[in-house]
Amino acid sequence: MSTVTATGVRAARARAWTKLADVASRWAFMGPAAVILGAMLAYPIFYTIEISFSRFDLMTFGAVEWIGFENYAHVLDDYRFWSSMKVTLVYLVFALPLQIVLGFGIAFLINADWRGRGTVRALFIIPMVVAPVVAGGIWRMILDPLWGIMNWAIGLAGFGPLDWFGDPNLAMAAIVIIDTWRWTPFVVLIATAALLSLPRDIFEAAEIDGAGWWSMLWSITLPLLVPIIAATFVVRWLGAVKMFDIALAATYGGPGGATNVINLFIYEEAFRSLRFAESAAMAVIVLVLTMVLTGLFLLGTRKLEQRY
Amino acid sequence: MTAAALHAPLRRRSRLGRKIRIAAGVFACIVFLFPVFWMVLSSFKEQRDIFTVPPTLVFTPTLETYVSYMQRADISRRLINTVIVATGSGLLSIVAGAMAGYALARIRLRGAGTIGVLILLSRGVPPIALAVPMFLVARSLGVTDMHITLILAYCTFLIPYVMWLMRGFFLALPKELEESAMIDGCSRFGAFFKIIVPISMPGLLSTMIFSMILAWEELLFALVLTNRYASTIPVAIAGIAGDTVNGANWGALTAVGTITVIPVVVFALLVQKWLIQGLADGATKG
Repeated sequence: MSTVTATGVRAARARAWTKLADVASRWAFMGPAAVILGAMLAYPIFYTIEISFSRFDLMTFGAVEWIGFENYAHVLDDYRFWSSMKVTLVYLVFALPLQIVLGFGIAFLINADWRGRGTVRALFIIPMVVAPVVAGGIWRMILDPLWGIMNWAIGLAGFGPLDWFGDPNLAMAAIVIIDTWRWTPFVVLIATAALLSLPRDIFEAAEIDGAGWWSMLWSITLPLLVPIIAATFVVRWLGAVKMFDIALAATYGGPGGATNVINLFIYEEAFRSLRFAESAAMAVIVLVLTMVLTGLFLLGTRKLEQRY
Repeated sequence: MTAAALHAPLRRRSRLGRKIRIAAGVFACIVFLFPVFWMVLSSFKEQRDIFTVPPTLVFTPTLETYVSYMQRADISRRLINTVIVATGSGLLSIVAGAMAGYALARIRLRGAGTIGVLILLSRGVPPIALAVPMFLVARSLGVTDMHITLILAYCTFLIPYVMWLMRGFFLALPKELEESAMIDGCSRFGAFFKIIVPISMPGLLSTMIFSMILAWEELLFALVLTNRYASTIPVAIAGIAGDTVNGANWGALTAVGTITVIPVVVFALLVQKWLIQGLADGATKG
């Protein structure tokens, strides 16, 4: 600070002024981010909450009248909301563990010490940066019941053609496959970095003691990895609850709502059916649920970190 | 001697195991790359080569789909829009996010802990909870279908991301750097922009590139906040993929998909080292 040259000769007022300027300059760093996030993140959330408790007038396009929990009651009565929540839950329960297990498994495979290791790892970046909407599109082509290469390959193995987008269970499987394809590389990259950062001497010591690779994996590698696995799970969870693009491009929620994840359902209700108040109520429910679960997962991660 | 003899069969087995491991890893890599390969390959096919059983591998490549589709569906304008929005939101979020990240890392602020928790929680906010009010407000202000609206909307997820990554990055820098600069008469801003920013350039650039990739791929806000003039490529792809009236237009899908993916892949491979580091930090520190 250039004002420091005053060296305390000035009056207390000047000192107070300096202190104020100092506080201001500290907070100035926060300024741009705080303004943008306040206007674009905090305000919309409050506005959503307001709409969710109001009657929405499509003439003026605004919330007109406070009606309490009426919108929420409508939503909770709507079987489509519940079925959409169930679809989202099924997707999460299958996709997340699959991606974590596959990701760490593949990372273990490609971490074998050889010349091509760096190249293979770099190539895993490619699926990760394919836009999710493009991923949905390509896989729609690959899984096409008539012309898709997947059914042709399954046919070679002697299995009948699968109607990927006509059968509700298969459509859900397709969504999980596409999402897993898009996101496993992300887990692989985190896991390879984590595996490389493990202390080598423990493994050498265990090898000298005659431990096989299985017991080393089970009693050294995995316990050491627990915090990272938990953290990766939280990051993937935060991404997966936002699932929208892939479902929209691959199945558009079909057949008959079998893959209509909650974000897609809310989007449809708001922007196709113009039910903004109910959509806002659903968005608030999802927001609260996500926050609570995220908080619980973060707490769980801390606990695991302390234990291992 | 005896110990070595004892371990010999074990080591041979593990050498075989290593080969199997490498082979399985390479196989997994090929499986994961195949869909991208298939997309690029199909984009150079004529319509009659796409719809075949068994799938065609050998064909005369053509640029027909690219040429016809670039003219037809304002793909080039959407491409320019996507570049503008990705660059704009990347720049804005790196400036605002890096400054805020620095404040969190280095400047003692009352309530910094609360801000940290809020940032973490903000990553759990479903975009749909923001899309509805954003649309309504943008509509009443008359700013829908404009680049700046989309740029600001993207900042809602980019700034927290940048803040968190850069916070970790700045925490790892030695504190003496800016302290000595500030003793030499630099203001806090001076120390940040003259000392910290140049040192952190690689981290800042790679974080910005990753932010731009995230903006480049975003679909929901673009669907909601734009319709004609500022519409982006992902919206076009969603349109082509969901076009049930004209049937499966795989040529267009693969061509536009390839155009979307190639620049991102090039950028991502350029910064791969930083990207992997950033991912690992984002997961473990966030």
